[in-house]
Amino acid sequence: MRTAPRLAPAARREPGAPADAALLRRIARGDGPAFTALVERYERRFYTVARRMLGHDGDAEDAVQLTFLRVLLKAKTYRDDWQGSTWLYRVLANVCIDACRKRRHESGAPAVPEPARDERGVERLDLEAGLRRLPTEARVILLLCYAEDLSYGEVARVRGVSINTVKTQLRRAKQLMRRYLKGDDT
Amino acid sequence: MIAIDRDESALRAALLPLETPAGLRAGILRTVRRRTAGGLTAPRFDVTASTDGVALVRLGAGEVAGPTARARGWAAAAQEQLAEYLAGERSFFTVPLDLHALAPFQRAVLDATRRIPFGEVRPYAWVAARIGKARAVRAVGTALGTNPVPLLIPCHRVLRSDGNLGGYGFGLPLKSRLLDLERETPTLVGCTTTKIVCRRGCPHGRRVSPDREVVFASVQDARSVGYRPCRECRPA
Repeated sequence: MRTAPRLAPAARREPGAPADAALLRRIARGDGPAFTALVERYERRFYTVARRMLGHDGDAEDAVQLTFLRVLLKAKTYRDDWQGSTWLYRVLANVCIDACRKRRHESGAPAVPEPARDERGVERLDLEAGLRRLPTEARVILLLCYAEDLSYGEVARVRGVSINTVKTQLRRAKQLMRRYLKGDDT
Repeated sequence: MIAIDRDESALRAALLPLETPAGLRAGILRTVRRRTAGGLTAPRFDVTASTDGVALVRLGAGEVAGPTARARGWAAAAQEQLAEYLAGERSFFTVPLDLHALAPFQRAVLDATRRIPFGEVRPYAWVAARIGKARAVRAVGTALGTNPVPLLIPCHRVLRSDGNLGGYGFGLPLKSRLLDLERETPTLVGCTTTKIVCRRGCPHGRRVSPDREVVFASVQDARSVGYRPCRECRPA
């Protein structure tokens, strides 16, 4: 699992490139190049969230493929009162969370990421191990806020909860992470 | 070790985007082509019910049969639920089944198979162990092969231990398609306005528009963010 430099939110699309909402409207009309452009724009961001939610390369790839399939099939239900990226992250979060549920039942244990070993060494192992201790809701909210830089309002809309619930879940996630990283967690 | 300080900057810095694996984009486009290219017409079934419940499901012209109006009602309900299931709008069935005519061994196999949750798979050996006859793996395969109510009892969720599909009375392409369908259909769905969580297919959940739909991994997770389970479909 290799990391890459963070893209500032503003750099998610090239200047002059169509907005997400415009791409979604074109996809709904069956525009193939618009779909490819959306895949290019979001595949890495989606993979990052899916890999950290599911903790497994193959499962993350499956989730990303399924997410784009759903985007294609459901683009007709996209409405303009949604910001394009928020709608897309809702689709991704729904797919990842359903994958967590199915894996949890299959293994008979909570679906938690496997430790990822890479060149970043200890720090990353700590982080991945901490992430896998988090409850599913807290994990997805933490990732959307801190890895994807979504605002509280956007995350609240993605998960269908209030902004206060987002803050509560974030606080809970950080407490658990802090406790784990300090070595208090047993 | 990273420190999660008050302004969370360390956490943000540590959660860098990951490099996408080679071939991800090709995989996405392949999946999309495969799933959107034809062949998605749903099969139709003939359903026969007795006075105790649905007794037989077979590929056919979409007919229902039964000795009484009540039995025919069950057969019609089964057909409707099967159509919803194949459209990705249902993850469970509520019609009663009549398995009385079956031998005790086959009934035990089908009872165990019925408990495999939607979207999951188990090996034939799991079913054999579950009914306390761990060595009867082949007999389990035979019992599933003559399942009189396929789909309603999900024998398509039973695979070989090496991951191969094994067999299926309606043909392996349909088995594979059913597994894809279940993998792609979320099961536990909440409505963002009512804050109620239903199993996919619940009459209450069906009224939820797509942009008010959020998926949960468990009822416990849903409760943790202020949702409650539906009293009608009672998700577990």
